[in-house]
Amino acid sequence: MGFNKKYIWLGLGAVIFLIYPLIFTLPFPRHVMIMIFLYATLGLAWNMIGGYAGQISLGHALFFGIGAYTSTLMLMKLGASPWVGMLVGGILSMGVSFIIGYPCFKLAGHYFAIATIAIGEIAQVWMLNWDWAGAAVGLTLPILPESLINLEFHSTKAPYYYIAFGLLILGLLATYGIDRSKLGYYFKAIKGDLEAARSLGINVTKYKFFALALSAFFTSICGSFYAQYVLFIDPDSVFPLMLSVIVCLVATLGGVGTIWGPVIGAFILIPISEFTRIYLGGGGKGTDLVLYGLLIIIISVYQPFGVIGIAKRFRKKESA
Amino acid sequence: MALLEVNQLTKIFGGLLANDHVDLVVNEGEIVGLIGPNGAGKTTLFNCIAGFYPPNSGTVQFKGENITGLPSNEICLKGIARTFQIVRIFKEMSVLDNIMVGAFNRTGSAAHARKQALEVLDFCGLMPKKQMLAGGLTIANKKRLEVAKAYATGPSLLMLDEAMAGLNQTETAEAVELIKKIRKSGVTIVLVEHVMEVVMPISNRVVVLEYGKKIAEDTPEKVIHNEEVIKAYLGDKYHATRRAH
Repeated sequence: MGFNKKYIWLGLGAVIFLIYPLIFTLPFPRHVMIMIFLYATLGLAWNMIGGYAGQISLGHALFFGIGAYTSTLMLMKLGASPWVGMLVGGILSMGVSFIIGYPCFKLAGHYFAIATIAIGEIAQVWMLNWDWAGAAVGLTLPILPESLINLEFHSTKAPYYYIAFGLLILGLLATYGIDRSKLGYYFKAIKGDLEAARSLGINVTKYKFFALALSAFFTSICGSFYAQYVLFIDPDSVFPLMLSVIVCLVATLGGVGTIWGPVIGAFILIPISEFTRIYLGGGGKGTDLVLYGLLIIIISVYQPFGVIGIAKRFRKKESA
Repeated sequence: MALLEVNQLTKIFGGLLANDHVDLVVNEGEIVGLIGPNGAGKTTLFNCIAGFYPPNSGTVQFKGENITGLPSNEICLKGIARTFQIVRIFKEMSVLDNIMVGAFNRTGSAAHARKQALEVLDFCGLMPKKQMLAGGLTIANKKRLEVAKAYATGPSLLMLDEAMAGLNQTETAEAVELIKKIRKSGVTIVLVEHVMEVVMPISNRVVVLEYGKKIAEDTPEKVIHNEEVIKAYLGDKYHATRRAH
């Protein structure tokens, strides 16, 4: 019965989110939801390497930026469809993840996280100075006729909403696939105890590469989507350290190494940031960051397993 | 033919000669006990065989193949599984999931791994703890799980590093039963222990190390009467008084 119930809830959720744009026709509620979906997908992507495999990356903005810039540059210089750019960006990000993984996977724990911060920052500085790619001025995407192939919609946000929802479903399916397969078990084993994993026949470095490559691919796709949604990118908006931190926080707040954790995290965090920006305006700039800081402290002190951990604890109490 | 053959293995840590030209042969179907006082180099020898670190010189051959210096994951694939003296279980994973990680060594399919893991669970008597988080097990069960996940990798040689240290008498007896069962299922076993009482009744052969050197290798009955071994364990004094009587 528990199984059927689960499917009913999933179906109900899907229906609610599918009709959401029909109920909320104003751009803002749709925008909030699009951002939630986007960050949930980013959180899911981060979760593959950071949550499942336990390699905390604080440089994921790098892959986000690669995705955004690849699809945009391919559109502007070659006239390629953003969908093609999205795919190429994803593959490029996977390639970059191998180059990064090679030196960085020799580092453990905090040192890995520090190295990823450094790489993310290097990428941002590089992009700020790369004239061909727009440098600090950024790139304004050409306004093309509305169509799915152009991935541009000007009169309504609804198509963006459904595409973002699709990305989230894709991220969930990928996570589900990882969770139930050899990959997921090996990732968790690597997170649990490196030497024990190795002694059980796991090629630790190889599986870390897998985790990072998968994570990079999905993060990059989100970057391409973001570029098409906002139609303007610059190094400050797609390569910031803050983005890497938020993505990590989304997953950590919800529950690392779980399928639904990052989704829950995004549903809590993104509205906080969007609404503080509305109600406090420019004067309240940074309030969301203060709240984030507070949340980080609360999570790490009281509930390292995130919201999912709290939910599990309650469920245990009920059944006991 | 010998399943495992260690030739003239030497391992040096800085100025410490941990293993000094050690020879070791393990035949198929045997239980070989590796004993010696603290610091004799048992675990070092063990780690060199299991690929934890490469030896400075000497070779390790497994099934006629040179496996010296291979990384531990490849050695596990070849069919040597090991346990750790201080258990290294995946605390945040369930008991079943822990064993599944081991079972994935021989299969890519989750369904197949689960089926095998359930068999191993049953075999090792951990079925009632199936869904428990491994971190919440008692010491005895943690040690049992440590053996179970190594066994799940489908090894032909299982190396147990003090699988019974810290257990009480009943638990030790149960662990000995499990080792016998594993041996009966066709797996050769190398046992590192320094509790003599555990090694003697179940080993076919016993190898004694002291200060990195092999000082004796024989059946348990003969080893306990070997003068060098008595000296190593009990010191010269005991040796002298024993002679006087």
